[in-house]
Formats: sequence, structure tokens, C-alpha cells
Amino acid sequence: MRVFGILFYTAVLILIGIALIVLSFAFTFPGLQSQTSQSINDMLLYVQQNAHVKIIIAFSGGLLILVSISFAQLILGRFQREKTIAFKTASGEVTIALSAVEDLIRRITNLMPEVKELRPDVKANKKGITVELRVVLKSEANIPGLTERLEEMTKGKMQEVLGLEEKIFVNTHIVKIIPQEEKDKKVQPTIPFSGYGRV
Amino acid sequence: MQHNDESITGLGAIKIHKNAIASITSIAAVEIEGVKRVGGNLKSGFFAIFGKKTYSAISVEINKNGEVRVEIPLIIKYGYNIPDIASRVQENVRQSLEKMTNLAVKDINIKVRAIEKE
Repeated sequence: MRVFGILFYTAVLILIGIALIVLSFAFTFPGLQSQTSQSINDMLLYVQQNAHVKIIIAFSGGLLILVSISFAQLILGRFQREKTIAFKTASGEVTIALSAVEDLIRRITNLMPEVKELRPDVKANKKGITVELRVVLKSEANIPGLTERLEEMTKGKMQEVLGLEEKIFVNTHIVKIIPQEEKDKKVQPTIPFSGYGRV
Repeated sequence: MQHNDESITGLGAIKIHKNAIASITSIAAVEIEGVKRVGGNLKSGFFAIFGKKTYSAISVEINKNGEVRVEIPLIIKYGYNIPDIASRVQENVRQSLEKMTNLAVKDINIKVRAIEKE
């Protein structure tokens, strides 16, 4: 089905391309211009007058839409299948979307006050799972220590929650370090109108 | 044509619609602690726009032998062990389907779509 879809789309696109090239050539040469316009007019008139042709064109359009939808579903399905981690249990298969794993890693940000933002990108291949972490730090913290802790936490959390036995590789990129925001200055509560009435 | 999810009694035929199987599956899945909700898909999202919330993203297939295969998209709560939750959901769904429909359950496939906070 997938091969048929690819062949179909290739054929349709090639035909459209050829038709456009031919049309542009036909309109380029003055001798062919009137002839081409006449042929197009004749063809449109024929479609307009013949009920059967209209029905055939409408059906072709419908078929094209259906084939497009099924082809899009195939591509999307394949795309989704590739972006999951799967394992089998006695009752069936369990697949975990890599975006779900990314969600899980993003939650780690809440556990580390030094991390302002964490953008994980998880890839699964035969070697194992590779996690690319793009980190925005809040302050000039000790980067080697912090990244080591972050990598340990990521690995630990993934193994704990996902129960994965595969190798996990964590690569960290510090993309930005932003200065620590000044903590809200403690403002003494003032008594309303306290400045009045004193002489 | 006889449907696979159809059983015949002395008084007539009993048909169980796939939507009924999907509903049982959905209820059984969210009963498990750690499951936030059943995830959606494009079709269920489209139907939800028009206020039709009955369309489930759970896919149900019944083969020629009358065996049921269900696929459940799940959103799991943060902090729970996914394989543990998945196997508990599979067990609960299997028990509920067998108890309520008498159908043989072949596969219960879980798709963890996302992790959300409680």
C-alpha cells in the first residue's frame, strides 16, 4: 500500500509538472497561443455540456482526496511508530511516546532550583536512548557539578519511571546563563496614614 | 452476515458494539491509580469540537475467532512507574472485558502519550 501510494503521488506530481511545462511552452510561442487557448476552451465546453464527464471528474476528485488521506495516515503512522519506545508484556505491547519521556525529563526542572529552563530531545536507536538536554541556568552555578547531577537525575528518573534496562546516554548543552533575579526586597509593612498627625 | 461480537441466545442475538467495548476499556483504565486520563487522537478531537464526546480514541478490533484486541492511548501521572501502571491497566481491562462481555481478550496494547502532573 505504501509503495502504491508513493508511486501514485510521484506519477500525479510528474504529470502535473509536465502539464505545466507544456502549457507554459504553448503560451510562449505566438503561433501556439491561440491554438492552446482554443483547445482549453473546447475542453471546458465539453466538460460543461457533458454530464457524464462532470460525474467522472467529481469522482476522480473524491478518489484523489481519499488516497491523499490514507497516504497521509500511513506517513503519520510510520512517523509515530518511529518515535516511541516499546516493550512487550504478557497482555500485549506497551509503547511510550518519546514526547512523554521528554515531559518526564522536563519535570526535573522543578527539582533543581538552579535550572531555569530545560529542553530535552530524546532519540531511541539500537544502541540505546540518547537524551540531549539544552539547559538555561539561573545563576553562575558550578557547571560541571550541576550537569553531573542533572545527568544522574535524568538517568535515574528514566530508569525509575520507565523501568528501562537499555543504555541511556545524556548529553547536556548549557545554552544560556541568566543572572539570578534579586529576591524580593523585604518591605516593612507600613501603617496607612502613619505619617500624618505627628508634629 | 454474523458479527464476531454477536452471540445468539434462545431469544435472539446479542450484539456488543465496539463503542461499548471501548467504554468499558476506558473506565477500567482510569480506575488504576496513576492514570490521569485516556488520551485523544485527531478523530476524537474533531468530534469533541462538535460536542460529541462519545467518540473514543481507544481502538477496538475483533478478529474472525471473536478475539478482542484493544489499543489504549494513556496519559500517566508524573511520578508513577510506567511499566507497573501499564501492566495493572492491562490486567484490569482484561478482567473487566471478560467479566462484562464474555469475549476473549487477545491483546491489550498501551500507548503512553504523555506524562502530566496531578
